[in-house]
Amino acid sequence: MFVCIYGRGVSRTRNSAVATGENSLLVDLAFTFSPLVEQTTIDTVVLDASGQELLFGGTSEFSESAEVESAVNLANEIFSRSKYLLLKTNVAVASNPDTAIHAARSFRGISLIPPGEELSPLGSLSIKKLDCSLVAIDEKRAEELQETFALWGIRTFADLARLPLAGVAERLGQDGVRLQKLAQGQTHRNLNLVRPPVGFEQSLELEHPISELEPLSFILSRLLNQLCANLNEYALATNEVRLSLGLEPVRTPLACNQQHAGGVRTKCAHELGINLPVPMRHPKTLLRLLVFEIEREPPQAPIVSVTIDAVPVKPRAAQTGLFIPLAPEPERLEITLARLVKLVGSDNVGSPEILDTHRPDAFRMKRFTLNHRGHGGRNPKAGINRQSAIGNRQCVMGFRIFRPPWNADVQTVRGRPARINARNPKISSKVRGEIVCAAGPWRASGDWWRSDVWARDEWDVAVLDSTSNENEILCRIYRDLTSEQWFVEGVYD
Amino acid sequence: MNSAVTKQEIESALVDRFGHVFERYERLPAETLSTGSEEIDDALQGFPRGAITEIHGTASSGRTSLILSALSAASSQDEICAVVDCDDTFDLSSAANAGVDFDRLLWIRCDHNLERAFKAVDLILHSGGFGFVALNLCDVPAMTLRRIVSSWWFRFRRAIENTPTAMIVLTPLAAVRSCASLALELNNKGAVWPSTLSLVSDNGYSRFTGGSETGSHLYLVTPPAQSRAVNPAHSQFLRSTSICINRTRPVQWQLPAVNFRPHLR
Repeated sequence: MFVCIYGRGVSRTRNSAVATGENSLLVDLAFTFSPLVEQTTIDTVVLDASGQELLFGGTSEFSESAEVESAVNLANEIFSRSKYLLLKTNVAVASNPDTAIHAARSFRGISLIPPGEELSPLGSLSIKKLDCSLVAIDEKRAEELQETFALWGIRTFADLARLPLAGVAERLGQDGVRLQKLAQGQTHRNLNLVRPPVGFEQSLELEHPISELEPLSFILSRLLNQLCANLNEYALATNEVRLSLGLEPVRTPLACNQQHAGGVRTKCAHELGINLPVPMRHPKTLLRLLVFEIEREPPQAPIVSVTIDAVPVKPRAAQTGLFIPLAPEPERLEITLARLVKLVGSDNVGSPEILDTHRPDAFRMKRFTLNHRGHGGRNPKAGINRQSAIGNRQCVMGFRIFRPPWNADVQTVRGRPARINARNPKISSKVRGEIVCAAGPWRASGDWWRSDVWARDEWDVAVLDSTSNENEILCRIYRDLTSEQWFVEGVYD
Repeated sequence: MNSAVTKQEIESALVDRFGHVFERYERLPAETLSTGSEEIDDALQGFPRGAITEIHGTASSGRTSLILSALSAASSQDEICAVVDCDDTFDLSSAANAGVDFDRLLWIRCDHNLERAFKAVDLILHSGGFGFVALNLCDVPAMTLRRIVSSWWFRFRRAIENTPTAMIVLTPLAAVRSCASLALELNNKGAVWPSTLSLVSDNGYSRFTGGSETGSHLYLVTPPAQSRAVNPAHSQFLRSTSICINRTRPVQWQLPAVNFRPHLR
């Protein structure tokens, strides 16, 4: 049995905030009595009353009668509750959802449509009250059918129900057949259930403030375990986790809320977040990443509450294969990258990207991610060509660049560098000696329209190492034309 | 009674009781990673996986050229590569010219901190999944290198044993010692210098911001007479060098030195 609740006062205008509020009240009201709820329209909800005999069951010995009796008792309870909530509603009980909907919309108060007697109460209803959307007929087609009914002189549900089936099918097609069944109250369908929005958030208020990482990590572990279990239930993962730590109010000038200086401070929050390159739901990995993040940006006051919020996404689908080269596991890679960032700094870890400029050594570091090149990475035929390409490739001379370039003292003879003395105090390396061979200069410049204009004359030189006369160091030096200073840019190696 | 019992007799007596303990098992050939150069691969069979390879030599001996070649080959085969750069000397232009795929490269810059470099390598090796890991110690002073405790190298070797990871260490002198399965010594045999056409004014260089050069002449800039091994080519800069590779570990007397010539472009 099905129970339909029709909100008489709810407007169908979706812009109305009041309508929205009442609509949510209708849905909440229905959820109070059954988890199986359909929101047919903004003012109509239908719930499945099956299985409520123990709560609302009657005294009848027959199962069918007991079911009807319990549905009626349920409807009475719903009506009373709606009065308590100051909602004007009609409640109808029927053996199928569509009959209950028509009855609730047409009859005030509580109505019961006994199973098998649907046409009796519905037959007198105007044909214009027939809701074609319940049988998946669009508005335009519904208007055409209503016009046809008007031409035929069909005024009520009963008129349509009494028409011969073959004639309806022949003249109106399957749409007409479905409408006739709807008018007869003989449609049976499943409810299009309302799913409450799923939120993946876990929070905890602490009895005592904590200011150390270890007890905090235990709390985070507990919350993350629950969060990941929820994600697992819905077959989802997350690629963004936000952590909000409620801090104890602190009466110092250095507290975060400067607007309340000298007065009672409101509770501050320390917000952190991690963005993952691939969706994950492994609690230990997420815990480690959060701990690294907290160590990087520790809160400034003891913590009184913890809230973790995860953005749900579909989990990644990675198909492995026998011939795919080795690659790090995404979870372990993320932890390793976090540890490397903690060790050397975020600017010193990542994949390099050369910038589109002529300025020497212009690059930026971007986040290192694993990009799988579809179908396991390779075409087998391309692999063969690649192997032969490796064998045929010409080795390119390597260059080791000094960052920053070394200051050099260069003696020139007739415009050519003849002797050089350069030293890097940081690493106690030096390039010193006679320049036995030089090629250049090569003039390069750029960004003349900017304040950081650069211009230089470059030379490739061979320096006879003063400490070892047999060792030649091939390096690139340049003379900065703006400062007239010589530098050693790097060494060919 | 003849008390001299041969080894063979002892083994034959024990084999019935202890089975095949005296059999020698052939060690399976180790998998290797291509160096990117066919001639080097033919001679050395590439860099061994699951082991440490040490490449040492003085400045301009070709270490970086060899490592870029191997990086290019590895990244082109979709291997995930990592370069731990102790002194931040990794040049992106030459790496791009060599064909290194930066999307497959993790670069860690350690700001002249040797301890950080070793810890970074340790993290990467224990993370697993990297096919090629290079540790660049080219500019570390020799005295500092000699003070590196062997336990680090043992730890690295243990971490990559039985894994497909190939670890290459670049040093100015041999430092890894017995922990390296393959050690290569590189020497520069000579550079190829071009004949250079250069515009040089009589009064030296004019300032970039100031006036124009007057009375400029064309000079053919040639290397001085005392230079050696000059083979002029028609280009503007250093064109190539000739590198000699000697395998110092494992020692194999029949194996001659391998020569290869990296080019600038």
